[in-house]
Amino acid sequence: MLPEVLRREPLIAGPLTAAALDEQVLSYPERRPPRAWFLAFAFTASVMCLGFALIGYTVYEGIGVWGNNRPVGWAFDIINFVFWIGIGHAGTLISAILLLFRARWRNAIARYAEAMTIFAVMTAGIFPAIHVGRPWLDFWLFPYPNQRGLWPNFRSPLMWDVFAVSTYFAVSLLFWYIGLLPDLASLRGRAKTRLRQIAYTVLSLGWRGTPEQWRHYEKAYVILAGLATGLVLSVHSVVSFDFATSLVPGWHMTIFPPYFVVGAIFAGFAMVVLVLSNVRRLMGIENLITMRHLELCNKVILGCSCLMGYSYLCEAFTAWYSMNPYIHHTFLQYVTGTYGWAGWLAVVCNVAVPQVLWSQRVRRSIPAMIGVALCVTAGMWFERFVIIVISLHHDFLPSAWHVYKPTMVDIGILLGSFGFFFTLVLLFARVLPVVATTEVKATLPGAQPEGVTHG
Amino acid sequence: MAERVFSVLGLFETPDALLAAVPRLKAKALGRLEAYTPYPVHGLEEAMGLRRSPLGGMVMVMGVLGTLTALLFQYWMNAVDYPLVTGGKDPSSWQAFVPIMFEVTVLFATFTAGLGMLLLLNKLPAFWHPFLDSEASKVATRDRFALAVEAEAGLLDAAAVSAALKAAGAASVETIPEPASARLVSINALLGLAAAGAAACVLAGAFMYWGIKLFPTLPPMSHMLAQPRLDAQMPSRFFRDSRGMRTPAEGAVARGGLPYPFDKDDQARGLANPLPRTEEVLRLGKKVFSNNCLICHGPLADGNPILTAAYGGKPANLQSKKFLDYPEGEIYHTIMRGKNAMPRLGDGFTEDERWAVIHYLRALQRAQHAKDSDL
Ligand code: HEC
Repeated sequence: MLPEVLRREPLIAGPLTAAALDEQVLSYPERRPPRAWFLAFAFTASVMCLGFALIGYTVYEGIGVWGNNRPVGWAFDIINFVFWIGIGHAGTLISAILLLFRARWRNAIARYAEAMTIFAVMTAGIFPAIHVGRPWLDFWLFPYPNQRGLWPNFRSPLMWDVFAVSTYFAVSLLFWYIGLLPDLASLRGRAKTRLRQIAYTVLSLGWRGTPEQWRHYEKAYVILAGLATGLVLSVHSVVSFDFATSLVPGWHMTIFPPYFVVGAIFAGFAMVVLVLSNVRRLMGIENLITMRHLELCNKVILGCSCLMGYSYLCEAFTAWYSMNPYIHHTFLQYVTGTYGWAGWLAVVCNVAVPQVLWSQRVRRSIPAMIGVALCVTAGMWFERFVIIVISLHHDFLPSAWHVYKPTMVDIGILLGSFGFFFTLVLLFARVLPVVATTEVKATLPGAQPEGVTHG
Repeated sequence: MAERVFSVLGLFETPDALLAAVPRLKAKALGRLEAYTPYPVHGLEEAMGLRRSPLGGMVMVMGVLGTLTALLFQYWMNAVDYPLVTGGKDPSSWQAFVPIMFEVTVLFATFTAGLGMLLLLNKLPAFWHPFLDSEASKVATRDRFALAVEAEAGLLDAAAVSAALKAAGAASVETIPEPASARLVSINALLGLAAAGAAACVLAGAFMYWGIKLFPTLPPMSHMLAQPRLDAQMPSRFFRDSRGMRTPAEGAVARGGLPYPFDKDDQARGLANPLPRTEEVLRLGKKVFSNNCLICHGPLADGNPILTAAYGGKPANLQSKKFLDYPEGEIYHTIMRGKNAMPRLGDGFTEDERWAVIHYLRALQRAQHAKDSDL
């Protein structure tokens, strides 16, 4: 018997029977959501519409309506892309890597985190598509036989990016859907009306849950987790290659791939905390997504924050050690130039503020963790601003230097991307089971036959 | 006629009860055993005598195939079909192909694992499985565990099975009838589908027809292409004669050119070619000839135009006797002033180009009328 302090909190805090769990989670798609949901949805959907209207305006008028201008050819568009792709990484980490590590606490939050991954990648995908200026020609990115006899340049990191991001999206979607399948079957079992019955039968592909099906299913799930793990580490590395393989001072650094991956997980977990801490209240599922889950997420944030600090120091050291006047100059611009405030903002938000999470009181206080998560989200956005805009605005030729200012359209589209993401998050909470009930059921006490230990 | 039975199914409250029942029903050998559980129950697969899933091997094979596909495709596109040199590297350097090879490997492997599991191994979608219509399917996805004995070759002793299931501890027993075979694809459903398809076609057609009729002038999104600039040959509302391309004002002299004074070809007869007959000059002449004269006078300048008869004019055969010792000044004059259907082209050339093309013309003539001494 373990002493009290060492005993683990239960994975979920009741209900401890499968039937009650189904009743709590699966009844959501069947009934009218609370007023708060409608209010939140109306708000996020209007912000989303604003964003899409401005995107329409950009497409119609051309990207001249943005603040981008030589030499700052990449600005909000690419910052937002990198930022949102990063947000997705926490979901895959939770659903795949923690599955492989058999961290069973992930079960309750995996579904939501995976959904966030998909929505974040969808949001991110908007930006490369529109920043080319003529989105109707986006299909040129793909290698298809054409009358010009040309092929894409596969040695270009931008091309790698196309493949990495679309693979990431396809894999995440499949992983998510397969996880959802047995839950959809449960929804079919509950369906009262004919229409729902048909809809859920089709969505669940007529899943029956025979031992034959389960053994293939479990195998597939583990394989997918393994593949997604490799993938998640590669995606942000490839995104970082967009920068690291160029010769721009401040981008041309070997630390970029791991630095980007850590940053992505960091920002992603902050978003998970931000969303889950609100959703669990909104939907009354505090018993399933417990304080323990949030605390564990906060621990991950703390760890990542320290790694971020290390990365920043490493960048500074590399800059100094390079003895390259251009890199010295760029690095000084990060902390002293026109945009020096952005560099310091990133350091404070990403490294200094999260250190309060060393205290357990903070880790378990909802307002405090929301504050930290907001800081990290803002900090990580500004970190990408620092990397992209500051490095570009002073390039090799002083005659070309330029102070970049975003326009209202830039800012509107950024807000719109948040609107889009949160609208999808809310819709998801409304129509699909937000907790992987099947996975949670399989680990409830008494769920497995005596003498057989689970997993 | 009595309904044919697909299976008889018993519901159990706990996974232990289910597991205990499996060997007892197996021993009775009444039919094929099947179970339905809300989540994977460990130990059930072994009890039912299932082997390991072959999915791992499939994924492995497809993954390797993905790697090779990506390597070969990239190599073929960037090194063979359209060799692309970047960073001064050999077009066949493969190292930069690795990231995409990795991604495609993962893509192939995932789709094999996901879709292979669903479609191939589990034979989904299966919307019409008889189990899905049973009462048990409502709870067997929640917290009950179902064990079914299925009919083999249409034979099942339903009473014996339900007694055996009850004896093995089933809380309730249900008989699932064999579905009427005609139900799967009824004529009505097919007709409905066809009607829906036809309606969709008519609707789409009407939409296109009225859409184009009502909004004919809606410009496609070409905002970035439309710029306040006059392209060659474009009309302009700004000028009274609507011509975008303006003729120079009277007496204007092009930069680097001199006004050409003569109106009659015999006046120009005395002009001498100022250029030496070097290879460089001939090359320039060839370029001017190919771009400007060839289309009418033919590649050999023998008056066989590439133009069709619809052109109307009859370009001179410059290989004819008359032109072999035609004064160069008169050719120059023809270029500068044109002649009947021969347009006046000289304004578009520099002085050197005019004389170079004459050298080239002479070379063409000489090539067609080569003497023995030229060989
Ligand atoms: C649009 C078709 C066309 C093009 C282009 C053209 N020609 Fe001609 N050319 C003619 C025709 C038609 C004649 C016969 C004119 C006549 O005698 O009625 C002719 C006649 C001539 C003659 C004989 C004039 C004479 O004195 O009888 C010469 C020399 C000649 N072309 C040279 C050239 C050269 C050099 C070029 C290229 C710079 C050229 N042409 C381009 C249509 C063309």
